Amino acid sequence: MAAALCLLLVIGVFVGISMGPAELDFSRLLSAVTGQGDDAAMTLVWDLRLPRVVAALVAGACLGVAGFLLQTSTRNPLGDPQLFGLGGGAAVVQALAIAGIVGRGTWGLYTLSVIASLVGAAIITFFASRRGVSAARLALIGVSLSALTAAIGTGALAGARVFSQQSLNFVGGSLANRGWPDVMPALPFLGLGLVAAVPVLRNLSVLALGDQVAANLGAEPGRTRAVAVASSGILGGTAVAIAGMVGFVGLLVPHVARLLVGHDVRTSFIMSVLLGAAVLLFADQVSRLAFMPSEVPAGMITALLGAPLMIYVARRVQWN
Amino acid sequence: MELTLQGISFVRHDKAVLSDVSATVPARGLTCLLGTNGAGKTTLLRVVSGELKPTSGRYFIDSTDASALSRKELARHFAVIPQNAPIPPYLTVREMVGLGRFKPRGSPKWRVSGQDRAKVDASLSRCRVEGLGDRRLDEVSGGEQRRAWLAFGLVSDKYFLVLDETLDGMDVFGKRTFFELLKDIASRDKSIVLASHDLDLVNEFADKIIVLVGGRVVFEGPPDSDLQKLLGSSPESAYIIPDKGK
Repeated sequence: MAAALCLLLVIGVFVGISMGPAELDFSRLLSAVTGQGDDAAMTLVWDLRLPRVVAALVAGACLGVAGFLLQTSTRNPLGDPQLFGLGGGAAVVQALAIAGIVGRGTWGLYTLSVIASLVGAAIITFFASRRGVSAARLALIGVSLSALTAAIGTGALAGARVFSQQSLNFVGGSLANRGWPDVMPALPFLGLGLVAAVPVLRNLSVLALGDQVAANLGAEPGRTRAVAVASSGILGGTAVAIAGMVGFVGLLVPHVARLLVGHDVRTSFIMSVLLGAAVLLFADQVSRLAFMPSEVPAGMITALLGAPLMIYVARRVQWN
Repeated sequence: MELTLQGISFVRHDKAVLSDVSATVPARGLTCLLGTNGAGKTTLLRVVSGELKPTSGRYFIDSTDASALSRKELARHFAVIPQNAPIPPYLTVREMVGLGRFKPRGSPKWRVSGQDRAKVDASLSRCRVEGLGDRRLDEVSGGEQRRAWLAFGLVSDKYFLVLDETLDGMDVFGKRTFFELLKDIASRDKSIVLASHDLDLVNEFADKIIVLVGGRVVFEGPPDSDLQKLLGSSPESAYIIPDKGK
């Protein structure tokens, strides 16, 4: 299954760098990939298309893993960085940046987004660790947090009278015009989120049996959940900083991953990384190629595909 | 390994839930903790498993002061099946039992080892649920779920197996089968502690009985016809028995 997804990713990358409004035949593409192409082909492949492909892969992987960690650590099928408000803090930071209220140095902005997401993560961890907070109640708290931050972000954009293509792309979730300066700062945060999550995967596997059983096994459910949700916050904030508010990927990908490979935490974690990257990569290709030369936000494609698929998954999936 | 409790007290909201509990759980056999609701059975088991810290008193595993150990360290000795063990419906019986092989230390394992698989199969077989391994937990009966949880406790190779009112809600026949299973396991290589309300079955199968009333031990010893006489058919009667066997 992982091999099939890797093959799918290779196809997606090929489509991403070879197809677009500007024509690029196979020989020019091959020359550009090997670093011997003409200037136009080199610019198309290395400066315009490849960074966007990498941005889609990174944002998709971030969302897939962030959703997986939230769902597993809180035992909540609705776990999603956007739905739980983790991405909301990052969205406020990005909205303030688009409105010109905070500075737009890319590294600083990524850091601020991740910090804002971590605040959301801390709030979710606090409520998730309290006894008697059901999955539905936790989801309601997350949705409220999300709505609150969305209102603040929209208010910032409206107050600054910014309704440009840029803000539309942000709200809809888009990877248009992403270059290396947008992608590079995301990589260390992706690495940090994944590296932080890996050591608690073993513990996460037994959280399914409830906090009491997990604690009796020595799995430290409180610490495990805090680390998992914090990782989810880092990854969710990073995804918002690259791609804006892309919906459904974080919610849907972990469910599909589990349907494909079962409930082993370690294999479904890897599957969420690959599947998240593949879903957003292909959604972005549809968003930029379906209506050439104009394009629609990738988040619109993930929602169009994700909503009916989520309904199907919701009928199949079993949860507490 | 023997578990020795020495003067364990636990106070919650200024109310003594356990008072000066001293008792011994032998190295092998089925030890049953009898008492009414609110007698302190669950609290005592939660103290022993490290979930709660005793207000005073200590307990020992052989000569090791277990009350000074962290919950993670205690997890090496105790497999605990709580009162309302959850039933994650998406897990199969085999997957759930396999989680019992969890070890808090060591590098993340990306593949289930052959040894783990063999242990899981052996536990399923020993608890007579070998044919249910691939069934989802929510598809099997209540009695089968409890035997699956017992397999979960066994698969970990921990010395003490602690079950808190695991049999509540089972029919009489299911309870008897479960007690027979516990007795068989305990007679070989485990020390099992079971909190229960079922006086008749406890008296028939237990190797040792500890009776708690109002957080105090009022009886500690082997099954006893006098105890049966004193308690009558219900441990409710334990409220009226005098201190005995201490």
